[in-house]
Amino acid sequence: MEVVAINEGQSLIRMENVSTAILKNIFLHVKKGEIITLIGSSGAGKSSLLMLLNRLNDPDEGTITYRGQDVNSYDIPALRKSIGMVLQSSSLFDGTVEDNLAYGPKIFNEWDEKMGEELLQNVQLPTSYLQRPVDELSGGEQQRVAFARTLANRPDILLLDEVTSAVDLKNVELIEDFLSRIVPERVQAILMVTHDVAQARRLGNRTIFMDQGKIVEEGKTSDLFANPQTEQLQYFLKE
Amino acid sequence: MAPEISNLSMFFLIFFVLIPVSLSYIYALGLSGSIVWSSFRGIVQLFLIGYVLTYLFSLSPPIGISIMLAVMIAVASLHASKKGQGIPFVRVIIFGIIVGIALLILAMWLGFDMIDFQPDQVIPMSGMVIGNSMVAIGLALERMKSEFRESRGKIVAALALGAQPQQASTILIRKIVKAAMIPNVDGLKTVGLVQLPGMMTGLILGGVPPIEAIRYQIVISLSIFTSVSLAAMVATIIFYRFFFNKQMQLAEMKNDEA
Repeated sequence: MEVVAINEGQSLIRMENVSTAILKNIFLHVKKGEIITLIGSSGAGKSSLLMLLNRLNDPDEGTITYRGQDVNSYDIPALRKSIGMVLQSSSLFDGTVEDNLAYGPKIFNEWDEKMGEELLQNVQLPTSYLQRPVDELSGGEQQRVAFARTLANRPDILLLDEVTSAVDLKNVELIEDFLSRIVPERVQAILMVTHDVAQARRLGNRTIFMDQGKIVEEGKTSDLFANPQTEQLQYFLKE
Repeated sequence: MAPEISNLSMFFLIFFVLIPVSLSYIYALGLSGSIVWSSFRGIVQLFLIGYVLTYLFSLSPPIGISIMLAVMIAVASLHASKKGQGIPFVRVIIFGIIVGIALLILAMWLGFDMIDFQPDQVIPMSGMVIGNSMVAIGLALERMKSEFRESRGKIVAALALGAQPQQASTILIRKIVKAAMIPNVDGLKTVGLVQLPGMMTGLILGGVPPIEAIRYQIVISLSIFTSVSLAAMVATIIFYRFFFNKQMQLAEMKNDEA
């Protein structure tokens, strides 16, 4: 099944009572224009939650819908193209920057050589980098190429799994600046797992706090940090 | 005429065993028992196979060759499949791969009139092809496991970009086949310079002129190269599928990452 359009106000993603061995009874709605930051201790289930959305894993119980349709009804590669993901380590493929940028579009016969320069400009890398072997880039540059590689598929939703945890401050700033500019024109929503509470605060307009596989607290980012309701979140923020 | 080694000379082989046993004793390596046992076992196995081969060579070629090839392929499949524990039908699949390769190489030898369909030619040469294919498949399976573990991030990244398992595995398949081929490529570069290959040594000791022995060695070296490349490639192309499930997810991924 191809990815369909949704009505204004309808949730892009709905998770209803989703459980896995790690996650317990997750309810989550994602709407257009949202940047949702997911925080919590290591092992809380944040990355597991992301991987359910593009079907890199499936739940044992519950349903996940995307644009009103069960995710299981979609063609899996088409779903993963529409819900793009950037991983913690850049995981670039051997070869040049262009090889990496073209990887997704070539799968769907959508690669156009002009795309490469535009994608690099988006992540503020010089266009001369196109023919560079990826192992000659710094860690931060590699992560920006990984971003551009995911964006090359023109995803509607972006899943980010601790994407700035291994990059320097300058690259963190560049990536954050870029993320705050692309919603909702280029990407309709972002779900971002981060270990950096300050980053969650800077970028999110909604924040979810997870602990031991459960969503313990969620709300508008400014409210959540200003007035944490649960002991777990209060303790987590003090750490 | 091949030189004969007398029984007395064979008896003196005991010194070749005593030296490593003494070293093991002096340096407390704890290997004395296994050195003696494996030497004894090796000697008995070789004598037994000598008698078996003598018997098989006396049978009509189709029967002798079929029996020995079937036994060699069965043992090779059993051995190589140990590296692929947990993979469904691994023994049957490996058996099929080795049968295919052994028959293809045999057909080429006979078709191009390189050897005669005689047990004393087909059995030792096929043994080398089967043995090397077995090692190549075992290495491919081991390498595949480690590549799927070490390159897991790249595989997940490829799947997340919309790649099907076959597309996501391409990067690994290249690496695995290359790893299986490199020792043979390097081996061919130095063949005869560092040490004379076993088959050629045997033929020369058996009284065959070196130039004739070299012809056989070239045939077997290139046949092994072909069979090893094919074995690694076919095994990889068949077995990578078992690392994914029907939902195009890494098979062992479920619930192992928080």
